[in-house]
Amino acid sequence: MRRKKELMVGFLLILPALVVLVALYVYPLALSVYMSFVAQGRFSLANYLKVFEIYWRDIIYSVVISLVATAVTLGLSIGVSGYLRFKSWKFLEIMYKLPLFIPFLIVGHAMRVFLAPHGTLNNLLTRILRIEELPGLSRSWIGLVWAFVWVMTPYAALIVFGAFRSLDNAYIEAAQNLGASRWKIVFDVLIPMCRPSIMVAFILTFVRTISSLTIPIMVGPASPNMITVNMMFRVNYFNDWGTANALGVISYLIVMVFAIYYLKFMAAERGGIKA
Amino acid sequence: MTGFSILKMTLKMVLIFVVLLLVVGPLVGIVLWSFARIWYWPSPVPQEFTLRYWAEVFRQGRVLSSLILSLRIALITVGLSISVAIPAAYAFARYRLPAESVLLFLFLMPQAFPQLPVFINLARVFGKIGLRGNPWGIILAHTMASLVFSLWIITATFKSIPLDLEQAAQNLGASRFRAFWTITFPLGIPGIVAGAIHVFLWSMGEFNAAFFIGAPFIQTAPVLMYTASAGYNMQIASVIAIVLMVPSLLFMLVIEKFLKAEYIAGIGG
Repeated sequence: MRRKKELMVGFLLILPALVVLVALYVYPLALSVYMSFVAQGRFSLANYLKVFEIYWRDIIYSVVISLVATAVTLGLSIGVSGYLRFKSWKFLEIMYKLPLFIPFLIVGHAMRVFLAPHGTLNNLLTRILRIEELPGLSRSWIGLVWAFVWVMTPYAALIVFGAFRSLDNAYIEAAQNLGASRWKIVFDVLIPMCRPSIMVAFILTFVRTISSLTIPIMVGPASPNMITVNMMFRVNYFNDWGTANALGVISYLIVMVFAIYYLKFMAAERGGIKA
Repeated sequence: MTGFSILKMTLKMVLIFVVLLLVVGPLVGIVLWSFARIWYWPSPVPQEFTLRYWAEVFRQGRVLSSLILSLRIALITVGLSISVAIPAAYAFARYRLPAESVLLFLFLMPQAFPQLPVFINLARVFGKIGLRGNPWGIILAHTMASLVFSLWIITATFKSIPLDLEQAAQNLGASRFRAFWTITFPLGIPGIVAGAIHVFLWSMGEFNAAFFIGAPFIQTAPVLMYTASAGYNMQIASVIAIVLMVPSLLFMLVIEKFLKAEYIAGIGG
């Protein structure tokens, strides 16, 4: 009886949040899947055929760009976290977190100014190297990856460093006593023991990269495009919701395996909150 | 030996320079642009500086009104998001819940899947009920999207407060609500404030929902910034960018100690 009452009160407490989530997230999400199968008022696969015909290159491009950006981000995060696990360096600790809360749109604008052919970076490099001119990196895939890495690294590093730091010193001291170098400890002790957190950092970075719209519009090349940009064009210029939603569903499918791992892992940890 | 340490010092200086260039460099560019009147290649800094664009932003006009609109949207979003998140967070922290794993899945889902298709379809739904091109449409979308991280920040806060304190109050005859209201809630205020600031900053900088739901009549500051930047109006875009960025940087310095990576996934977009 008491337990039943407790279940009841608990449910009532989360009800307002649940209503918001179901009405404004779950419903549009389900709608996006449904709309992707509707073309000219009828149930069909026409939208998907169109997507594969027009956008197959862009889909591959989005996945590759996201994987490259995520790989570089993780490499940097592990490097920074590994270094800070052994040595404290206040400068680096402030620097790696600096881009943390800067909105993606502003990152896009800042990177456009920084990486443009006559931007801040080339301005400095041409002076140091004493050469006439350098090609700009904005509006290229390198600039796009650069912008993603810049904004994703603080967040991924925070997750990885948190895991590294919470690992008991005893493991590290044991390895040190056996004569392991720092980098050997990072690769043979820290990374294997913190694999779940590194996986979470990987998933969140990958999902955030592949679903970002503003950074690709601001710094990405005109063609090929990330699929988010194509979604926007489909809605804004062609009023073509079917194809936009088919692209959306494909983006869900791309992250599906990772998303399920993430949800299971976080649910096992009760939302990532250790009691 | 001395030669070695000089080499080491030099290497460290080079490293500091490279890190500064890579991390701070992009921000320096927009600060320079916000004061530039004339700036032609290959001059490293603008040939002429001006305060004109800063003055323009803060005088009555399109930019100022979009900033005020963003501010209003963000404040209402904070109110809604936090007031829905507090009871739910308390339930996640303290109660047994029906179908708990399903609920956890649901409340974590927005972090695990791309959100853009959801915003696009939300814009479509809002179009049918008159909330498209309406600030309340943006507020509702922001409440939904920010709920996920405000909920987890506040849940973590409530969890960190020892249950014993509440139980002691209850043993002395306080009701469960009174125990929450006089003990857990006041102790949780720092976490709630952190969550609120977080939601505020996110809402101020959010583009996707504001763009699809507000367009074309409602222009929040990020949407206006995007239009200015796309139209190569570099000065105005840079001024708005700095105005939106400074609070975030300040917040980062303040909150540094409390940063818990797992709960800030929603930032950016």
